Amino acid sequence: MEKIFGDKKAILVLVLPAFIIYIIFVLIPIGYNIYISLFRTNLMSPGIFVGFTNYKNLFQDATFIKALKNNLFMVVGSLIAHLPLALFFANMLFQKIKGGNFFQNVFFLPCVISGVAVGLMWTFVYHSEFGLLNKFLELMGHGDLKQVWLANKDTAMFCIIVVVMWMYVGYHMVIQIAAMKSIPESLYEAAWIDGANAWKRFTCVTFPLIKHILKIDAVLIITGSLKYYDLVAIMTGGGPNHATELMSTYMYYQGFRTLKYGYSAAIGVILFLLCIAAVVIANLLFRSEQIEY
Amino acid sequence: MKKIKGKEITILFFKYIILIAFAIMCLYPIIWMFLASFKTNDELYINPWGFPQSIRFDNYIRAIVEGNVGTYYINSIIITGAVLLVSVCLSFMASYAITRMNWKYSKVVLNIFVLGMLIPVYATIVPLFSIFKTIGLLNTRLAVIISHIAFGFPIAIFIMTGFLSTIPREIEEAAVMEGCSIYRILFNIIFPISRSSVVTVAVIVFLNSWNDLLLPQIFLTDQLKMPLPVGLTEFQGQYYTDYASMIAAVVLVIIPSIIIYILLHKNIMEGMVAGAVKG
Repeated sequence: MEKIFGDKKAILVLVLPAFIIYIIFVLIPIGYNIYISLFRTNLMSPGIFVGFTNYKNLFQDATFIKALKNNLFMVVGSLIAHLPLALFFANMLFQKIKGGNFFQNVFFLPCVISGVAVGLMWTFVYHSEFGLLNKFLELMGHGDLKQVWLANKDTAMFCIIVVVMWMYVGYHMVIQIAAMKSIPESLYEAAWIDGANAWKRFTCVTFPLIKHILKIDAVLIITGSLKYYDLVAIMTGGGPNHATELMSTYMYYQGFRTLKYGYSAAIGVILFLLCIAAVVIANLLFRSEQIEY
Repeated sequence: MKKIKGKEITILFFKYIILIAFAIMCLYPIIWMFLASFKTNDELYINPWGFPQSIRFDNYIRAIVEGNVGTYYINSIIITGAVLLVSVCLSFMASYAITRMNWKYSKVVLNIFVLGMLIPVYATIVPLFSIFKTIGLLNTRLAVIISHIAFGFPIAIFIMTGFLSTIPREIEEAAVMEGCSIYRILFNIIFPISRSSVVTVAVIVFLNSWNDLLLPQIFLTDQLKMPLPVGLTEFQGQYYTDYASMIAAVVLVIIPSIIIYILLHKNIMEGMVAGAVKG
Protein backbone atom coordinates (compact mmCIF):
# COMPACT_ATOMS: atom_id res chain seq x y z
CA MET A 1 0.00 0.00 0.00
CA GLU A 2 2.70 2.42 1.12
CA LYS A 3 4.71 1.45 -1.93
CA ILE A 4 1.98 2.21 -4.38
CA PHE A 5 0.95 5.60 -2.91
CA GLY A 6 4.53 6.66 -2.29
CA ASP A 7 5.78 5.67 -5.75
CA LYS A 8 8.18 8.51 -6.57
CA LYS A 9 8.17 7.83 -10.29
CA ALA A 10 4.38 7.93 -10.54
CA ILE A 11 4.26 11.17 -8.54
CA LEU A 12 6.70 12.81 -10.93
CA VAL A 13 4.76 11.58 -13.97
CA LEU A 14 1.53 12.99 -12.56
CA VAL A 15 2.71 16.34 -11.19
CA LEU A 16 5.55 17.42 -13.45
CA PRO A 17 3.66 18.15 -16.69
CA ALA A 18 1.38 20.69 -15.02
CA PHE A 19 4.10 22.04 -12.76
CA ILE A 20 6.63 22.64 -15.55
CA ILE A 21 4.11 24.44 -17.77
CA TYR A 22 3.01 26.52 -14.80
CA ILE A 23 6.59 27.46 -13.83
CA ILE A 24 7.67 28.36 -17.36
CA PHE A 25 4.58 30.30 -18.42
CA VAL A 26 3.39 31.86 -15.17
CA LEU A 27 6.10 32.09 -12.49
CA ILE A 28 9.20 32.78 -14.56
CA PRO A 29 7.46 35.52 -16.59
CA ILE A 30 6.70 37.43 -13.37
CA GLY A 31 10.39 37.68 -12.53
CA TYR A 32 11.29 38.32 -16.15
CA ASN A 33 8.70 41.10 -16.23
CA ILE A 34 10.43 42.93 -13.38
CA TYR A 35 13.72 42.53 -15.25
CA ILE A 36 12.28 43.90 -18.53
CA SER A 37 10.80 46.86 -16.68
CA LEU A 38 14.35 48.07 -15.95
CA PHE A 39 15.19 48.35 -19.64
CA ARG A 40 14.32 50.48 -22.60
CA THR A 41 13.66 47.81 -25.17
CA ASN A 42 11.70 46.97 -28.29
CA LEU A 43 12.46 43.25 -27.72
CA MET A 44 14.33 43.11 -31.06
CA SER A 45 17.76 44.64 -30.48
CA PRO A 46 19.34 44.31 -27.03
CA GLY A 47 17.74 46.81 -24.66
CA ILE A 48 19.42 49.60 -22.77
CA PHE A 49 19.52 49.28 -18.98
CA VAL A 50 17.81 52.34 -17.52
CA GLY A 51 17.27 51.34 -13.89
CA PHE A 52 14.11 52.80 -12.41
CA THR A 53 13.70 55.44 -15.13
CA ASN A 54 10.57 53.74 -16.49
CA TYR A 55 8.92 53.99 -13.09
CA LYS A 56 10.03 57.59 -12.62
CA ASN A 57 8.63 58.50 -16.04
CA LEU A 58 5.38 56.70 -15.30
CA PHE A 59 4.66 58.90 -12.32
CA GLN A 60 5.31 62.00 -14.41
CA ASP A 61 3.15 60.70 -17.25
CA ALA A 62 -0.18 62.55 -17.04
CA THR A 63 -2.00 59.78 -18.92
CA PHE A 64 -0.77 57.10 -16.54
CA ILE A 65 -1.82 59.20 -13.54
CA LYS A 66 -5.22 59.60 -15.19
CA ALA A 67 -5.41 55.83 -15.70
CA LEU A 68 -4.45 55.20 -12.09
CA LYS A 69 -7.12 57.65 -10.92
CA ASN A 70 -9.70 56.00 -13.16
CA ASN A 71 -8.79 52.63 -11.71
CA LEU A 72 -9.25 53.99 -8.18
CA PHE A 73 -12.55 55.52 -9.25
CA MET A 74 -13.50 52.09 -10.60
CA VAL A 75 -12.53 50.47 -7.28
CA VAL A 76 -14.58 52.89 -5.20
CA GLY A 77 -17.45 52.98 -7.70
CA SER A 78 -17.64 49.20 -7.91
CA LEU A 79 -17.49 48.78 -4.14
CA ILE A 80 -20.36 51.23 -3.67
CA ALA A 81 -22.33 49.83 -6.57
CA HIS A 82 -21.81 46.13 -5.92
CA LEU A 83 -21.68 45.35 -2.23
CA PRO A 84 -24.91 46.92 -0.94
CA LEU A 85 -26.97 45.93 -3.96
CA ALA A 86 -25.66 42.37 -3.98
CA LEU A 87 -26.25 42.12 -0.24
CA PHE A 88 -29.77 43.49 -0.63
CA PHE A 89 -30.70 40.85 -3.22
CA ALA A 90 -28.82 38.10 -1.44
CA ASN A 91 -30.74 38.71 1.76
CA MET A 92 -34.01 38.82 -0.15
CA LEU A 93 -33.44 35.58 -2.04
CA PHE A 94 -31.96 33.79 0.93
CA GLN A 95 -35.32 33.94 2.76
CA LYS A 96 -36.88 31.04 0.86
CA ILE A 97 -39.01 33.04 -1.49
CA LYS A 98 -40.99 31.32 -4.21
CA GLY A 99 -39.07 31.36 -7.49
CA GLY A 100 -35.90 32.33 -5.66
CA ASN A 101 -33.76 29.91 -7.66
CA PHE A 102 -35.08 31.31 -10.90
CA PHE A 103 -34.15 34.87 -9.93
CA GLN A 104 -30.74 33.74 -8.72
CA ASN A 105 -30.04 32.08 -12.06
CA VAL A 106 -31.19 35.09 -14.03
CA PHE A 107 -29.14 37.57 -11.98
CA PHE A 108 -26.02 35.46 -12.33
CA LEU A 109 -26.33 34.99 -16.10
CA PRO A 110 -24.59 38.20 -17.32
CA CYS A 111 -21.23 37.30 -15.83
CA VAL A 112 -20.79 34.18 -17.96
CA ILE A 113 -21.06 36.14 -21.21
CA SER A 114 -17.86 37.28 -22.90
CA GLY A 115 -16.85 40.81 -21.90
CA VAL A 116 -16.43 41.68 -25.56
CA ALA A 117 -20.00 40.67 -26.38
CA VAL A 118 -21.31 42.53 -23.32
CA GLY A 119 -19.31 45.61 -24.28
CA LEU A 120 -20.65 45.61 -27.83
CA MET A 121 -24.17 44.99 -26.60
CA TRP A 122 -23.99 48.01 -24.34
CA THR A 123 -22.50 50.23 -27.03
CA PHE A 124 -25.80 49.57 -28.78
CA VAL A 125 -27.74 50.47 -25.66
CA TYR A 126 -25.77 53.72 -25.35
CA HIS A 127 -25.79 54.39 -29.10
CA SER A 128 -26.63 58.02 -29.78
CA GLU A 129 -29.14 57.34 -32.57
CA PHE A 130 -30.89 53.99 -32.17
CA GLY A 131 -29.60 53.23 -28.67
CA LEU A 132 -32.14 52.06 -26.11
CA LEU A 133 -31.20 54.66 -23.53
CA ASN A 134 -31.78 57.66 -25.76
CA LYS A 135 -34.94 56.16 -27.23
CA PHE A 136 -36.19 55.56 -23.70
CA LEU A 137 -35.50 59.17 -22.70
CA GLU A 138 -37.38 60.31 -25.80
CA LEU A 139 -40.29 58.08 -24.88
CA MET A 140 -40.41 59.58 -21.40
CA GLY A 141 -40.45 63.07 -22.89
CA HIS A 142 -36.94 63.92 -21.74
CA GLY A 143 -35.42 64.22 -25.21
CA ASP A 144 -33.28 67.08 -23.96
CA LEU A 145 -31.32 64.67 -21.74
CA LYS A 146 -30.14 62.70 -24.75
CA GLN A 147 -26.37 62.23 -24.85
CA VAL A 148 -23.61 60.75 -26.93
CA TRP A 149 -23.03 58.72 -23.79
CA LEU A 150 -19.73 57.01 -24.49
CA ALA A 151 -18.12 59.88 -26.39
CA ASN A 152 -18.78 62.39 -23.63
CA LYS A 153 -15.93 62.50 -21.13
CA ASP A 154 -18.27 63.35 -18.25
CA THR A 155 -20.59 60.38 -18.73
CA ALA A 156 -18.33 57.69 -20.23
CA MET A 157 -16.87 56.43 -16.96
CA PHE A 158 -20.27 56.19 -15.26
CA CYS A 159 -21.66 54.34 -18.25
CA ILE A 160 -18.90 51.76 -17.91
CA ILE A 161 -19.48 51.33 -14.18
CA VAL A 162 -23.16 50.65 -14.88
CA VAL A 163 -22.15 47.88 -17.28
CA VAL A 164 -19.74 46.42 -14.74
CA MET A 165 -22.63 46.42 -12.27
CA TRP A 166 -24.95 44.74 -14.75
CA MET A 167 -22.36 42.04 -15.25
CA TYR A 168 -21.27 41.32 -11.70
CA VAL A 169 -23.97 42.12 -9.11
CA GLY A 170 -25.43 38.63 -9.56
CA TYR A 171 -22.02 37.06 -9.15
CA HIS A 172 -21.36 38.75 -5.82
CA MET A 173 -24.91 38.00 -4.75
CA VAL A 174 -24.37 34.27 -5.29
CA ILE A 175 -21.14 34.37 -3.25
CA GLN A 176 -23.04 36.00 -0.39
CA ILE A 177 -25.98 33.60 -0.61
CA ALA A 178 -23.52 30.71 -0.37
CA ALA A 179 -22.17 32.27 2.82
CA MET A 180 -25.65 32.83 4.27
CA LYS A 181 -26.61 29.21 3.61
CA SER A 182 -23.84 28.05 5.93
CA ILE A 183 -25.44 29.83 8.90
CA PRO A 184 -27.26 27.24 11.03
CA GLU A 185 -31.06 27.43 10.97
CA SER A 186 -31.17 27.23 14.79
CA LEU A 187 -29.78 30.76 15.14
CA TYR A 188 -32.70 32.15 13.17
CA GLU A 189 -35.17 30.14 15.20
CA ALA A 190 -33.66 31.55 18.38
CA ALA A 191 -33.89 35.08 16.96
CA TRP A 192 -37.50 34.42 15.99
CA ILE A 193 -38.38 33.29 19.49
CA ASP A 194 -36.73 36.43 20.89
CA GLY A 195 -39.09 38.38 18.66
CA ALA A 196 -36.52 39.82 16.31
CA ASN A 197 -37.98 41.39 13.19
CA ALA A 198 -36.53 40.96 9.70
CA TRP A 199 -34.19 43.93 10.02
CA LYS A 200 -32.94 42.77 13.45
CA ARG A 201 -32.42 39.25 12.12
CA PHE A 202 -30.30 40.67 9.34
CA THR A 203 -28.20 43.04 11.44
CA CYS A 204 -27.74 40.73 14.43
CA VAL A 205 -27.48 37.29 12.84
CA THR A 206 -26.83 37.32 9.11
CA PHE A 207 -24.50 40.26 8.77
CA PRO A 208 -22.01 39.47 11.55
CA LEU A 209 -21.80 35.85 10.42
CA ILE A 210 -21.05 36.60 6.78
CA LYS A 211 -18.61 39.40 7.48
CA HIS A 212 -15.61 37.26 6.61
CA ILE A 213 -17.08 36.46 3.19
CA LEU A 214 -17.86 40.13 2.62
CA LYS A 215 -14.20 40.84 3.23
CA ILE A 216 -13.19 38.31 0.59
CA ASP A 217 -15.84 39.69 -1.70
CA ALA A 218 -14.50 43.22 -1.26
CA VAL A 219 -10.99 42.02 -2.12
CA LEU A 220 -12.43 40.38 -5.23
CA ILE A 221 -14.16 43.58 -6.27
CA ILE A 222 -10.99 45.61 -5.73
CA THR A 223 -8.65 43.29 -7.60
CA GLY A 224 -11.34 42.83 -10.26
CA SER A 225 -11.63 46.59 -10.73
CA LEU A 226 -7.88 46.84 -11.16
CA LYS A 227 -7.99 44.20 -13.87
CA TYR A 228 -10.91 45.21 -16.11
CA TYR A 229 -9.88 45.28 -19.70
CA ASP A 230 -12.31 43.91 -22.31
CA LEU A 231 -15.26 46.16 -21.52
CA VAL A 232 -13.27 49.36 -21.75
CA ALA A 233 -11.18 48.19 -24.69
CA ILE A 234 -14.37 47.52 -26.65
CA MET A 235 -16.64 50.33 -25.52
CA THR A 236 -14.31 53.33 -25.57
CA GLY A 237 -10.76 52.10 -26.17
CA GLY A 238 -9.75 54.36 -23.28
CA GLY A 239 -11.21 57.46 -24.94
CA PRO A 240 -12.55 60.08 -25.30
CA ASN A 241 -9.23 61.80 -24.71
CA HIS A 242 -8.14 59.20 -22.09
CA ALA A 243 -11.25 59.87 -19.97
CA THR A 244 -11.76 56.12 -19.47
CA GLU A 245 -8.13 55.01 -19.77
CA LEU A 246 -7.28 52.25 -17.30
CA MET A 247 -3.90 50.85 -16.37
CA SER A 248 -4.67 47.72 -18.38
CA THR A 249 -5.65 49.56 -21.57
CA TYR A 250 -2.74 51.95 -21.21
CA MET A 251 -0.38 49.03 -20.72
CA TYR A 252 -1.66 47.40 -23.89
CA TYR A 253 -1.31 50.66 -25.79
CA GLN A 254 2.26 51.36 -24.60
CA GLY A 255 3.46 47.81 -25.14
CA PHE A 256 1.72 46.58 -28.22
CA ARG A 257 0.90 49.77 -30.13
CA THR A 258 3.93 51.99 -29.51
CA LEU A 259 6.28 49.06 -28.74
CA LYS A 260 7.69 50.49 -25.51
CA TYR A 261 7.89 47.10 -23.82
CA GLY A 262 9.98 48.19 -20.86
CA TYR A 263 7.51 50.93 -20.03
CA SER A 264 4.60 48.54 -20.46
CA ALA A 265 6.26 45.95 -18.22
CA ALA A 266 6.65 48.60 -15.51
CA ILE A 267 2.87 49.19 -15.60
CA GLY A 268 2.44 45.42 -15.25
CA VAL A 269 4.63 45.40 -12.14
CA ILE A 270 2.62 48.23 -10.57
CA LEU A 271 -0.67 46.44 -11.28
CA PHE A 272 0.73 43.28 -9.73
CA LEU A 273 1.86 45.13 -6.60
CA LEU A 274 -1.51 46.86 -6.24
CA CYS A 275 -3.35 43.52 -6.40
CA ILE A 276 -1.06 41.99 -3.77
CA ALA A 277 -1.40 45.12 -1.62
CA ALA A 278 -5.21 44.88 -1.75
CA VAL A 279 -5.10 41.32 -0.44
CA VAL A 280 -2.55 42.05 2.27
CA ILE A 281 -4.29 45.20 3.51
CA ALA A 282 -7.67 43.49 3.63
CA ASN A 283 -6.15 40.66 5.65
CA LEU A 284 -4.56 43.08 8.09
CA LEU A 285 -7.67 45.23 8.45
CA PHE A 286 -10.07 42.40 9.12
CA ARG A 287 -8.23 39.61 10.87
CA SER A 288 -10.64 36.91 9.85
CA GLU A 289 -11.81 34.94 12.81
CA GLN A 290 -12.83 31.52 11.55
CA ILE A 291 -16.30 30.77 12.80
CA GLU A 292 -17.04 27.27 14.03
CA TYR A 293 -20.55 26.10 14.76
CA MET B 1 -45.22 29.46 13.40
CA LYS B 2 -46.06 31.85 10.60
CA LYS B 3 -49.34 33.69 10.17
CA ILE B 4 -49.76 35.57 6.95
CA LYS B 5 -50.92 39.07 7.67
CA GLY B 6 -51.84 41.90 5.37
CA LYS B 7 -48.60 43.69 6.03
CA GLU B 8 -46.55 40.67 5.06
CA ILE B 9 -48.41 40.31 1.80
CA THR B 10 -47.64 43.92 0.92
CA ILE B 11 -43.97 43.38 1.70
CA LEU B 12 -43.93 40.24 -0.41
CA PHE B 13 -45.60 42.10 -3.24
CA PHE B 14 -42.94 44.81 -3.24
CA LYS B 15 -40.21 42.20 -3.06
CA TYR B 16 -41.48 40.57 -6.23
CA ILE B 17 -41.78 43.93 -7.99
CA ILE B 18 -38.11 44.67 -7.23
CA LEU B 19 -36.96 41.18 -8.16
CA ILE B 20 -38.89 41.19 -11.42
CA ALA B 21 -37.62 44.67 -12.29
CA PHE B 22 -34.04 43.58 -11.80
CA ALA B 23 -34.60 40.36 -13.72
CA ILE B 24 -35.94 42.39 -16.64
CA MET B 25 -32.86 44.61 -16.47
CA CYS B 26 -30.64 41.55 -16.67
CA LEU B 27 -32.48 39.88 -19.51
CA TYR B 28 -33.85 42.70 -21.60
CA PRO B 29 -30.61 43.80 -23.32
CA ILE B 30 -30.01 40.20 -24.36
CA ILE B 31 -33.54 39.72 -25.66
CA TRP B 32 -33.40 43.09 -27.41
CA MET B 33 -30.22 42.05 -29.21
CA PHE B 34 -31.72 38.76 -30.24
CA LEU B 35 -34.72 40.53 -31.76
CA ALA B 36 -32.55 43.23 -33.33
CA SER B 37 -30.39 40.61 -35.02
CA PHE B 38 -33.29 39.91 -37.41
CA LYS B 39 -33.88 43.53 -38.30
CA THR B 40 -32.45 45.51 -41.20
CA ASN B 41 -30.23 48.51 -40.48
CA ASP B 42 -33.09 50.90 -41.32
CA GLU B 43 -35.49 49.04 -39.07
CA LEU B 44 -33.05 49.49 -36.16
CA TYR B 45 -33.54 53.24 -36.32
CA ILE B 46 -37.27 53.30 -36.99
CA ASN B 47 -38.37 50.46 -34.77
CA PRO B 48 -35.85 49.85 -31.98
CA TRP B 49 -38.26 48.31 -29.47
CA GLY B 50 -40.66 46.04 -31.31
CA PHE B 51 -40.47 42.69 -32.98
CA PRO B 52 -38.75 42.43 -36.38
CA GLN B 53 -41.07 42.67 -39.40
CA SER B 54 -40.00 39.24 -40.56
CA ILE B 55 -37.49 36.58 -39.55
CA ARG B 56 -34.58 37.04 -41.94
CA PHE B 57 -31.17 35.50 -41.60
CA ASP B 58 -29.44 38.06 -43.88
CA ASN B 59 -27.54 39.57 -40.97
CA TYR B 60 -26.24 36.20 -39.85
CA ILE B 61 -25.21 35.28 -43.37
CA ARG B 62 -23.42 38.61 -43.83
CA ALA B 63 -21.68 38.19 -40.47
CA ILE B 64 -20.54 34.66 -41.29
CA VAL B 65 -19.57 35.16 -44.94
CA GLU B 66 -18.29 38.73 -45.13
CA GLY B 67 -17.41 39.24 -41.49
CA ASN B 68 -15.38 36.02 -41.17
CA VAL B 69 -17.35 34.97 -38.10
CA GLY B 70 -17.30 31.38 -39.38
CA THR B 71 -13.50 31.32 -39.32
CA TYR B 72 -13.37 32.94 -35.87
CA TYR B 73 -15.80 30.31 -34.63
CA ILE B 74 -13.63 27.45 -35.82
CA ASN B 75 -10.57 29.05 -34.21
CA SER B 76 -12.41 29.51 -30.93
CA ILE B 77 -13.46 25.87 -30.97
CA ILE B 78 -9.90 24.69 -31.72
CA ILE B 79 -8.35 26.86 -29.00
CA THR B 80 -10.95 26.22 -26.32
CA GLY B 81 -11.13 22.52 -27.16
CA ALA B 82 -7.39 22.02 -26.84
CA VAL B 83 -7.22 24.05 -23.63
CA LEU B 84 -10.11 22.11 -22.13
CA LEU B 85 -8.66 18.69 -22.89
CA VAL B 86 -5.10 19.33 -21.74
CA SER B 87 -5.93 21.46 -18.77
CA VAL B 88 -8.55 19.10 -17.31
CA CYS B 89 -6.29 16.04 -17.74
CA LEU B 90 -3.11 17.58 -16.37
CA SER B 91 -4.76 19.33 -13.45
CA PHE B 92 -6.63 16.14 -12.53
CA MET B 93 -3.38 14.14 -12.54
CA ALA B 94 -1.54 16.76 -10.49
CA SER B 95 -4.44 17.14 -8.03
CA TYR B 96 -4.55 13.39 -7.50
CA ALA B 97 -0.85 13.17 -6.74
CA ILE B 98 -1.07 16.17 -4.43
CA THR B 99 -4.01 14.96 -2.33
CA ARG B 100 -3.88 11.15 -2.46
CA MET B 101 -0.22 10.26 -2.60
CA ASN B 102 2.39 10.58 0.13
CA TRP B 103 5.35 12.84 -0.51
CA LYS B 104 7.11 15.55 1.39
CA TYR B 105 6.48 18.55 -0.83
CA SER B 106 2.82 18.02 -1.72
CA LYS B 107 1.62 20.94 0.46
CA VAL B 108 4.30 23.26 -0.93
CA VAL B 109 3.46 22.43 -4.52
CA LEU B 110 -0.26 22.91 -3.85
CA ASN B 111 0.39 26.33 -2.32
CA ILE B 112 2.54 27.38 -5.27
CA PHE B 113 -0.28 26.46 -7.65
CA VAL B 114 -3.03 28.11 -5.60
CA LEU B 115 -1.06 31.34 -5.13
CA GLY B 116 -1.36 31.72 -8.89
CA MET B 117 -4.95 32.89 -8.39
CA LEU B 118 -3.54 36.17 -7.07
CA ILE B 119 -1.44 36.87 -10.14
CA PRO B 120 -2.96 39.25 -12.67
CA VAL B 121 -2.20 38.20 -16.22
CA TYR B 122 -0.86 41.71 -16.92
CA ALA B 123 2.22 40.96 -14.85
CA THR B 124 3.23 38.35 -17.42
CA ILE B 125 2.10 39.44 -20.88
CA VAL B 126 5.22 41.32 -21.99
CA PRO B 127 7.55 38.45 -20.99
CA LEU B 128 5.18 35.87 -22.52
CA PHE B 129 5.20 37.86 -25.75
CA SER B 130 8.99 37.88 -25.65
CA ILE B 131 9.21 34.14 -24.88
CA PHE B 132 6.82 33.19 -27.67
CA LYS B 133 8.71 35.44 -30.04
CA THR B 134 12.01 33.74 -29.18
CA ILE B 135 10.68 30.20 -29.62
CA GLY B 136 8.83 31.16 -32.79
CA LEU B 137 5.30 30.60 -31.51
CA LEU B 138 4.12 34.15 -31.98
CA ASN B 139 1.08 34.39 -34.22
CA THR B 140 0.17 30.74 -33.69
CA ARG B 141 -2.89 29.41 -31.89
CA LEU B 142 -0.52 27.32 -29.79
CA ALA B 143 0.75 30.44 -27.98
CA VAL B 144 -2.80 31.25 -26.86
CA ILE B 145 -3.51 27.63 -25.97
CA ILE B 146 -0.38 27.25 -23.82
CA SER B 147 -0.96 30.45 -21.88
CA HIS B 148 -4.63 29.65 -21.27
CA ILE B 149 -3.62 26.21 -19.98
CA ALA B 150 -0.96 27.65 -17.68
CA PHE B 151 -3.29 30.28 -16.23
CA GLY B 152 -6.08 27.72 -15.82
CA PHE B 153 -4.10 25.52 -13.41
CA PRO B 154 -4.54 27.49 -10.15
CA ILE B 155 -8.33 27.48 -10.14
CA ALA B 156 -8.60 23.98 -11.66
CA ILE B 157 -6.24 22.45 -9.12
CA PHE B 158 -7.86 24.39 -6.29
CA ILE B 159 -11.32 22.97 -7.09
CA MET B 160 -10.13 19.42 -7.80
CA THR B 161 -7.92 19.04 -4.72
CA GLY B 162 -10.86 20.27 -2.65
CA PHE B 163 -13.02 17.49 -4.02
CA LEU B 164 -10.44 14.69 -4.15
CA SER B 165 -9.50 15.09 -0.51
CA THR B 166 -13.07 14.10 0.46
CA ILE B 167 -12.98 10.66 -1.18
CA PRO B 168 -12.71 7.86 1.42
CA ARG B 169 -9.44 5.92 1.44
CA GLU B 170 -11.19 2.53 1.42
CA ILE B 171 -12.05 2.76 -2.26
CA GLU B 172 -8.42 2.97 -3.26
CA GLU B 173 -7.33 0.37 -0.73
CA ALA B 174 -9.78 -2.13 -2.17
CA ALA B 175 -8.43 -1.42 -5.64
CA VAL B 176 -4.86 -1.98 -4.52
CA MET B 177 -5.89 -5.33 -3.03
CA GLU B 178 -7.27 -6.26 -6.43
CA GLY B 179 -3.82 -5.51 -7.84
CA CYS B 180 -4.62 -2.30 -9.74
CA SER B 181 -1.75 -0.02 -10.73
CA ILE B 182 -1.80 3.60 -9.65
CA TYR B 183 -2.75 4.74 -13.15
CA ARG B 184 -5.68 2.34 -13.34
CA ILE B 185 -6.90 3.55 -9.94
CA LEU B 186 -6.61 7.11 -11.17
CA PHE B 187 -8.38 6.79 -14.49
CA ASN B 188 -10.78 3.87 -13.99
CA ILE B 189 -11.88 4.38 -10.40
CA ILE B 190 -11.25 7.91 -9.16
CA PHE B 191 -11.94 9.76 -12.41
CA PRO B 192 -15.51 8.39 -12.80
CA ILE B 193 -16.49 9.23 -9.23
CA SER B 194 -15.05 12.75 -9.55
CA ARG B 195 -17.27 13.54 -12.50
CA SER B 196 -19.06 16.50 -10.94
CA SER B 197 -15.86 18.31 -9.97
CA VAL B 198 -14.36 17.55 -13.38
CA VAL B 199 -17.41 19.12 -15.03
CA THR B 200 -17.13 22.15 -12.73
CA VAL B 201 -13.49 22.64 -13.67
CA ALA B 202 -14.26 22.09 -17.34
CA VAL B 203 -16.97 24.77 -17.50
CA ILE B 204 -14.78 27.31 -15.72
CA VAL B 205 -11.86 26.59 -18.05
CA PHE B 206 -14.24 26.78 -21.01
CA LEU B 207 -15.65 30.16 -20.02
CA ASN B 208 -12.23 31.68 -19.28
CA SER B 209 -10.79 30.55 -22.58
CA TRP B 210 -13.88 31.21 -24.75
CA ASN B 211 -14.32 34.73 -23.40
CA ASP B 212 -10.70 35.91 -23.24
CA LEU B 213 -9.77 38.89 -25.37
CA LEU B 214 -6.36 40.07 -24.15
CA LEU B 215 -4.08 37.10 -24.87
CA PRO B 216 -5.27 36.30 -28.41
CA GLN B 217 -5.26 40.02 -29.16
CA ILE B 218 -1.59 40.23 -28.24
CA PHE B 219 -0.30 36.94 -29.65
CA LEU B 220 -2.23 36.75 -32.94
CA THR B 221 -1.90 39.13 -35.87
CA ASP B 222 -3.26 36.87 -38.60
CA GLN B 223 -7.03 37.33 -38.96
CA LEU B 224 -7.45 33.71 -40.07
CA LYS B 225 -6.19 32.45 -36.69
CA MET B 226 -8.21 34.72 -34.41
CA PRO B 227 -10.88 33.44 -32.03
CA LEU B 228 -14.26 35.14 -31.61
CA PRO B 229 -13.56 37.91 -29.06
CA VAL B 230 -10.69 39.37 -31.10
CA GLY B 231 -12.62 38.67 -34.26
CA LEU B 232 -15.44 40.83 -32.96
CA THR B 233 -13.10 43.76 -32.42
CA GLU B 234 -11.89 43.35 -36.03
CA PHE B 235 -15.50 43.26 -37.11
CA GLN B 236 -16.17 46.45 -35.17
CA GLY B 237 -13.37 48.16 -37.06
CA GLN B 238 -14.34 46.96 -40.53
CA TYR B 239 -18.10 47.16 -40.65
CA TYR B 240 -18.59 50.07 -38.41
CA THR B 241 -21.89 51.12 -39.98
CA ASP B 242 -23.39 47.70 -40.52
CA TYR B 243 -24.82 47.44 -37.00
CA ALA B 244 -27.35 44.76 -37.85
CA SER B 245 -24.77 42.17 -38.83
CA MET B 246 -22.56 43.16 -35.91
CA ILE B 247 -25.48 42.44 -33.60
CA ALA B 248 -25.94 39.07 -35.31
CA ALA B 249 -22.25 38.33 -34.71
CA VAL B 250 -22.59 39.16 -31.01
CA VAL B 251 -25.60 36.84 -30.74
CA LEU B 252 -23.56 34.04 -32.32
CA VAL B 253 -20.82 34.58 -29.72
CA ILE B 254 -23.06 34.49 -26.66
CA ILE B 255 -25.23 31.54 -27.71
CA PRO B 256 -22.76 28.80 -26.62
CA SER B 257 -22.20 30.48 -23.24
CA ILE B 258 -25.92 30.77 -22.64
CA ILE B 259 -26.64 27.17 -23.65
CA ILE B 260 -23.90 25.90 -21.34
CA TYR B 261 -25.22 28.14 -18.59
CA ILE B 262 -28.73 26.76 -18.95
CA LEU B 263 -27.46 23.17 -18.85
CA LEU B 264 -24.76 23.49 -16.21
CA HIS B 265 -25.52 26.60 -14.14
CA LYS B 266 -25.08 24.67 -10.89
CA ASN B 267 -21.51 23.72 -11.79
CA ILE B 268 -20.70 27.18 -13.11
CA MET B 269 -21.84 28.87 -9.91
CA GLU B 270 -20.07 26.32 -7.76
CA GLY B 271 -16.82 26.79 -9.68
CA MET B 272 -16.92 30.56 -9.79
CA VAL B 273 -17.83 30.86 -6.14
CA ALA B 274 -15.18 28.33 -5.08
CA GLY B 275 -12.54 30.36 -6.87
CA ALA B 276 -13.83 33.49 -5.23
CA VAL B 277 -13.67 32.22 -1.70
CA LYS B 278 -9.92 31.79 -1.95
CA GLY B 279 -9.50 34.66 -4.42
